[in-house]
Amino acid sequence: MSDRPTAQELTEAIEEFLAGEILPTLSDHRLRFRLLVAMNALGIVHRELATLPAEDDAGQRELARRIRAGDVPPGTLGRVKADVEARLLVASPRYLERYR
Amino acid sequence: MIADMREAFQAALAGVLGREVEISEPVLLAGGASKEAWAVDADGERLLVRRAAVGVIHRHTLSLRHEFEVLQAAYEAGVKVPRPVMYIEDLDGREAFVMERLEGETIGRRIVQRPELEAARAALPLQLAEELAKVHAIPAERVPFLTGAAVERMVEELDEVGEPHPAIELGLWWLREHRPPPRPPVVSHGDYRIGNVVVDEHGLVGLLDWEFAHLDDPVRDLSFGLVRAWRFGVDAKRLGGIGDVEPYLERYNELTGFGVRLEELDYWELAGNVAWAIGCLTQAQRHLSGLDRSVELAILGRLGAEVEYEICSLLEKAAA
Repeated sequence: MSDRPTAQELTEAIEEFLAGEILPTLSDHRLRFRLLVAMNALGIVHRELATLPAEDDAGQRELARRIRAGDVPPGTLGRVKADVEARLLVASPRYLERYR
Repeated sequence: MIADMREAFQAALAGVLGREVEISEPVLLAGGASKEAWAVDADGERLLVRRAAVGVIHRHTLSLRHEFEVLQAAYEAGVKVPRPVMYIEDLDGREAFVMERLEGETIGRRIVQRPELEAARAALPLQLAEELAKVHAIPAERVPFLTGAAVERMVEELDEVGEPHPAIELGLWWLREHRPPPRPPVVSHGDYRIGNVVVDEHGLVGLLDWEFAHLDDPVRDLSFGLVRAWRFGVDAKRLGGIGDVEPYLERYNELTGFGVRLEELDYWELAGNVAWAIGCLTQAQRHLSGLDRSVELAILGRLGAEVEYEICSLLEKAAA
């Protein structure tokens, strides 16, 4: 799996949104404080994710290359669908209910 | 900035109309890296101003000048569109055009779900067929700058993203292997679906978003609204979450005489899904490249997996 944005990139996007668009709108001191604490927590997640090794997408690249070349043996669709399903269980699990 | 925009609009409109106009405070409806949309009233007339943003233009979309010309051609052909008002070469440093601001609902989720739009949904399938027949009858000579599109363009866009996506590759492979005999290309809207139309309680008010206009097989436009993502959660209604395909297709065939068969829609529905799966990735790239930082764009990179799942499901059906 090689999903972009990575979890680390997603935390970055959320940090930017909170700092750039939400924080400036908050006038309530308590809420401002709690948002700053939440942003600190998100920063911890971001830095911890940065220490993980990058995911290896060599298998996906090879599979994509072979399909592009027209090399599509029986069973390819089932394998690809199972992989997409695994990604959806992370990205959007409720979507799968729409097919049941 | 807003005060400047008001002055800029005032000057531009007065210049073109040859008289002074009373301008309301412009309201920015949508920003983003490629286009802005401003709501403004001039002498009480509801206008919408589309203006270029930082100067970055998506490679396969029309310039504002050409989009305006397509809008003019559609309006002349009697298609329900916002009345085009004028093209402005320089609106505070960037190109722009002005059109009528239609009243009605544009949010897809509301169009397919709101109880007060029930009658509109009943009327929409035939109305969408009728408008599309008119779009496809616009003479290509009227818009000579439009170019053709091909499956190869989707491959190019996927390669620019540079990530491996076997499900999209499978979709592209199937489209190459099962290409139907080409129909003569027509002037195509390019993004013909719920989400790009204005609807009121009686149904269709107007077609928006002409920036993807090009020449193509007519069945592409005819099928694009079938893509599951554009059913906004009402999956059982294959035509954009609002109705059945058969009456829509029948009315389109009556008006065009093209005799499109239901099976032909399946091919182009898959093509529409492949195009949108790649679209999700290129939208996410706008965020990742720093061009247009936004959580909404970023998350599309992951939600594209929904479209890939639909591609796999359609391929299973095709193989069955």
